Amino acid sequence: MKKSMRFGAAIALAATASLTLASCGFGGSSGGGESGGDGTTLDLLVPSYSDNTQALWEDVVDGFESENPDITVNLEVQSWDNLESVIATKIQGDEAPDIYNGGPFAGFAADELLYPVEDVVSADTLSDFQESFLANAEVDGTAYALPFIASGRALFVNNALLEQAGVAAPPTTWDELLDAATKVSALGGGIAGYGMPLGSEEAQAEAAVWLWGGGGTFGDESAITVDDPSNLPGAEQIKAMIDAGATQADPGSTDRSPLMDIFIQGQIGMQVGLPPTVGQIEEGNPDLDYSIVPIPTQDGSPFTLGVMDQLMAFQNDGDKQEAITAFFDYFYSSDVYVPWVQAEGFLPVTKSGAEALGGEEALAPFLDVLPDAQFYPSTNPQWSAADSAFKALFGQIQTKPAQDVLTEIQAQVDAS
Amino acid sequence: MSTTTETESTPTGAADGRPRSGGRPGRRSGTGERKPGARDLAHALPWIAPALILIAGVVFFPAGVMFFNSTRDISISGVDKGGVGFDNYVEVFQFPYFWPILGRTIVWVVVVVAITVVLSLILAQILDKAFPGRRIVRLVVIIPWAASVVMTTMVVYYGLEPYFGIINTFLVDIGLVDTPEGYGWTRNPATAFAWSIVVAIFVSLPFTTYTILAGLQTVPGDVLEAAKMDGAGPVRTYFGVVLPQLRSALAVAVLINIINVFNSLPILRVMTGSIPGYDADTIMTMIFKYMQNQHKIDVASALSVVAFAIVIVIVAVYVRVVKPMKEV
Repeated sequence: MKKSMRFGAAIALAATASLTLASCGFGGSSGGGESGGDGTTLDLLVPSYSDNTQALWEDVVDGFESENPDITVNLEVQSWDNLESVIATKIQGDEAPDIYNGGPFAGFAADELLYPVEDVVSADTLSDFQESFLANAEVDGTAYALPFIASGRALFVNNALLEQAGVAAPPTTWDELLDAATKVSALGGGIAGYGMPLGSEEAQAEAAVWLWGGGGTFGDESAITVDDPSNLPGAEQIKAMIDAGATQADPGSTDRSPLMDIFIQGQIGMQVGLPPTVGQIEEGNPDLDYSIVPIPTQDGSPFTLGVMDQLMAFQNDGDKQEAITAFFDYFYSSDVYVPWVQAEGFLPVTKSGAEALGGEEALAPFLDVLPDAQFYPSTNPQWSAADSAFKALFGQIQTKPAQDVLTEIQAQVDAS
Repeated sequence: MSTTTETESTPTGAADGRPRSGGRPGRRSGTGERKPGARDLAHALPWIAPALILIAGVVFFPAGVMFFNSTRDISISGVDKGGVGFDNYVEVFQFPYFWPILGRTIVWVVVVVAITVVLSLILAQILDKAFPGRRIVRLVVIIPWAASVVMTTMVVYYGLEPYFGIINTFLVDIGLVDTPEGYGWTRNPATAFAWSIVVAIFVSLPFTTYTILAGLQTVPGDVLEAAKMDGAGPVRTYFGVVLPQLRSALAVAVLINIINVFNSLPILRVMTGSIPGYDADTIMTMIFKYMQNQHKIDVASALSVVAFAIVIVIVAVYVRVVKPMKEV
């Protein structure tokens, strides 16, 4: 009895201690004890891009708070997996963050939750954005989100495997790609010619690479058009690749990140990758002999899938507009923004940022293809439904007729 | 031979201070004799009120919110756009894959619970015998329960990965799989589902085994001795004497397992998560897909209510048909 009481006391003590310590932690991150004043508090909800993200944001917040002593920033970092459910829960509970870093924003704009960006950044900052990126955040001519970072896709090629298979040069068209990938696959020993990740992780990206590369489109801000004849050549080409055995086994349910690890191990001939992939190869297998080339398309014309994440500001009480403006102006100043983008290995969305990073060798192949970038129709409120329909259904193309899969995705989008 | 060990072992179990025959009549007298009136209830209220508040707070309130949400139209970003009656239920039932998913859910529950219970009966019987190191073996049986389900599933999942999974590599090495990178067990609906069942059985075993083991230790030694005196063999003794005594332990094990397995998400979520389409989904993973992928909180709530109702019906049928609480 006595023993168990002592044990209980120990648990109570430990609990108190951890609570106290935790509250210390919160005090520390919000930057000081003078929180009782009439200062403004900004809640900032961001996803984690890498292990560095938290520290990078903490630096930004510290720098901002020292320049603006009357504003406190509460930073919350979430994983990408949780991000969308966290924001939905917060909105439902009337606790939307003031600033949010995410992908799809058209749903929030349609629910009239966001500030138009003109209201929350200075004219100078606004004019520094690349016009094409800003245009991609417009709903009915008003931009509701600020471009944050961009990334383009390119084809990563394992030079050694291609050479071994007798392929002279990296492919530029679908026919060449099919030919090269089939030859590499024929090497045997578990080596795959082309790494095709159509699993739920990011099926919409691989789908876009193929469907758009054949002249297709997912639609625009007014309509989602997945079931469109222009998407069929790309879908049929995916089937042709699978049927020829030019891809790894079971592409329909292979996720991108684990497959990229296999590419990095040198077991895959070609796979579409992103700027951060360069860093992953450096870390995982620096000896890999690879090159980065534009994505092959049906007729060889240049194209890349551009992905852009955005920063948006929620209209909570309406009294934080100035503080938000101050934060955005601080963040996008090139001294703060460029190191952030550089550390995460993405591409900048501001003109000043592009200038500053123009000489980066690793980013050069991506900066080259960026002018030909096409983006998801993320200004369409239905895009997030289309996005999840692709993730859930597109991989079935491995076993079902291409047309049926496109029809099924369109049906799920229309039903939402 | 085995009968002698049995008689040797049971007294040890009983001597641990387990309730013998005396425990049972006492329990019966407590429930049957007097009906408490309203006055008694009023007297008891201060004592049971905290428990009632807790039950209302953690059981009825969330269930109520779930039902309320299922009749609303909630936008993708989580804004409540007003009531829509039973439209969300219509969407659930009109979903073309709903009935296959329901069928698969039932297969999932029946197969996992049935195999778990049979294996647990065997395991518990072994653990009930006295043998050197029994304590350690009993401890080992608990370990799958102590590890988090997601961890256990992840271990199997990565073991099954083509290229680098050890289970796959092993199968390739012994020549059962003839592709050098291994077979995509978790990439095809049928095999992924089958492996999920294996994992689910594995993680359900500890609880079930221990529940049955507890039941086994309440079987009085003198009853077994009497059976032996009457000339019953080990098989006859087991099915005629031991198994009927396990009735209440089995009832608890089966009921909790049905509810638990029906509501199990992590195993299927990990094992079948990357498979496109709905060919490996149960109701639970479908709820998750509505919520996480399609952001239809309202439809997910409706499906949750449907699942809730199904569990209640299954349990009601089970209690009515098997009468698990009836004394032997």
